[in-house]
Amino acid sequence: MSQSPPALDIDDLRKEYDDVTALDGVSLTVPEGSFFGLLGPNGAGKTTFINILVGLVRKSGGHARVFGHDVEADYRKTRNAIGLAPQEFNVDRFFPIREVLEHKAGYHGIPAEEAQDRADEVLKQVGIYDKRDTRFDWLSGGMKRRFLLARALITDPDLLILDEPTAGVDVQLRRDLWELVTELNDQGKTILLTTHYIEEAERLCDEVAILDSGQVRAVATPEELKDRGTDQIVVELREPPATLPDLLAGDDRVEAVDLDGHQLTVTARNGGLVAPQLVRELDREGIEIVDLEITRTSLEEVFVEMTRHDDGDTAAGDASDVDSDADAAGDDTDIEDDDSPRAEQQVAPDGGQR
Amino acid sequence: MSVVDRAAAAAGVPTGFYTLVKREILRYVRRPKNTFIPPFITNVLYFSVFGVVLGSRVGEIIGVPYILFILPGLVVLGAVSNAFENASFSIFHGRWNEYIDETLTSPLSYTQMVWAYLLSSALRGVLVGTLIGVLGFFIIGGLYQPVPVEQPLYLVAFLLVITMLFSSLGIVGGLLAEDFDDLTMMNQFLLRPLVFFGAVFYSLEDLTPLLQDISLLNPMVYMVNGVRYGFLGVSEVDPQLSLGLLTGGTAVVAVLNVWLFKRGYGLTD
Repeated sequence: MSQSPPALDIDDLRKEYDDVTALDGVSLTVPEGSFFGLLGPNGAGKTTFINILVGLVRKSGGHARVFGHDVEADYRKTRNAIGLAPQEFNVDRFFPIREVLEHKAGYHGIPAEEAQDRADEVLKQVGIYDKRDTRFDWLSGGMKRRFLLARALITDPDLLILDEPTAGVDVQLRRDLWELVTELNDQGKTILLTTHYIEEAERLCDEVAILDSGQVRAVATPEELKDRGTDQIVVELREPPATLPDLLAGDDRVEAVDLDGHQLTVTARNGGLVAPQLVRELDREGIEIVDLEITRTSLEEVFVEMTRHDDGDTAAGDASDVDSDADAAGDDTDIEDDDSPRAEQQVAPDGGQR
Repeated sequence: MSVVDRAAAAAGVPTGFYTLVKREILRYVRRPKNTFIPPFITNVLYFSVFGVVLGSRVGEIIGVPYILFILPGLVVLGAVSNAFENASFSIFHGRWNEYIDETLTSPLSYTQMVWAYLLSSALRGVLVGTLIGVLGFFIIGGLYQPVPVEQPLYLVAFLLVITMLFSSLGIVGGLLAEDFDDLTMMNQFLLRPLVFFGAVFYSLEDLTPLLQDISLLNPMVYMVNGVRYGFLGVSEVDPQLSLGLLTGGTAVVAVLNVWLFKRGYGLTD
């Protein structure tokens, strides 16, 4: 029985801009039907990676296949399989949004009549059908984000690529988008998501890759990644011992055991598994426990740790670039993650009327 | 679904290609005050000043009133400048605002993309050239004599070839430009001099033999004389040779367009 190819099969993918290496041998596989997250600080190479898939950036080396089709040799099949919602508002300003969608559908070979029906359908799906006769420039920021998603969906792609889809949108819209993309994934679409919001990746993705300085640092499920971090077991003792007994000796998951007054803190990987042993040993020593709490490492902490450079900073230079509070109402100022020269969003000085 | 949509589908035109052509045409058809009214007004002025006011002093050239002599040149000027401007603007503006990505990320072949831009821009050139021709028919026919069309097939052939050629050049310009100023420069410093030294307003006979030979290096001379042959039945350059050279030039630039698109020149990083 022949096995269907993965949605993405990337092997030693490289991209160099003059003396800047944007992608440095990226290899990963995204199974069909999965919800895959691509995390990384600014300049990590996420947008370059995506743009290579859709043909907006030419790779310098390596291979990239989408559902078995090479992105350069079989570019027409590749592009037909992908729906992209980019960070930039790269939308045709000359036409009302409904017509923009009809054009996009037409480019993908969808006949005019069907394209009109689909345009209405996706505009309803993302909740901006009432604005169908409005030009893109007249939409609010949130509506623009919704429109980009509608444009990605109009061709009913097998692979939906969302590049920072919730950057700068309010709480309600963010939750609406989460619900929508989850539904699409449940229907069988493969989704590739890049995001700054760690909670978003944690909540939505089956698997995530952490990209830093053009290299893949890790590929795993969010849970597996969190297991790689260290948890803290904080035990409140009724009467602290005069000297700390040799607890958990020989357990290589344990990194540190500290006693501070009534509070015993054990730092260890897989804290949930270490805790029962700790309780047993304290009981054996006759030390009474008042309270016990395990603080699980967060995906954000793992992310920061993995992308921390020698100078102690993350590659982004500022951990605030990693926004773990997905409920915080964003603004448009953080939409600057692009790492390629195309990132400079430019506006025609003459409004484009020639 | 419009009648044209149905006809295109029935004729087997690929939907993606047809959609891009349609999008490009709708862009300029819906903005006549930016695309068709300016050449209309400009040419009314040309006919008034060069034809009526100055033309009465010049008299006749190659046996026809001066205003009739310049009509083919004005048709060429309008047709090629609009074809060039449309293609270069469409490509460059799409790049500038990045909405050309909608096309580039679609499954259209590079050849289809190029031909869609090329044909839609050439059509704008043909429409503007026709507009100027019709304007000439009314002004010259009303004031002097009916405007002849001695060689209609040549006229159509030249109009098609020259608009295709300048659409192709416009695509190159749109890909090369890095700023709107670059587009203006191409128009002002390349296109205009070629047109004004292209025997639009004077006869090659009025030049010295050396300048005549130099003029033959200007492709506009072949275009203007070709269209003049279509209207008046006279040409200072062999019309078949002109048509052959211009067709060859168009083919070369069109192939260059496809190659540049395949390479992603100006389109991809």
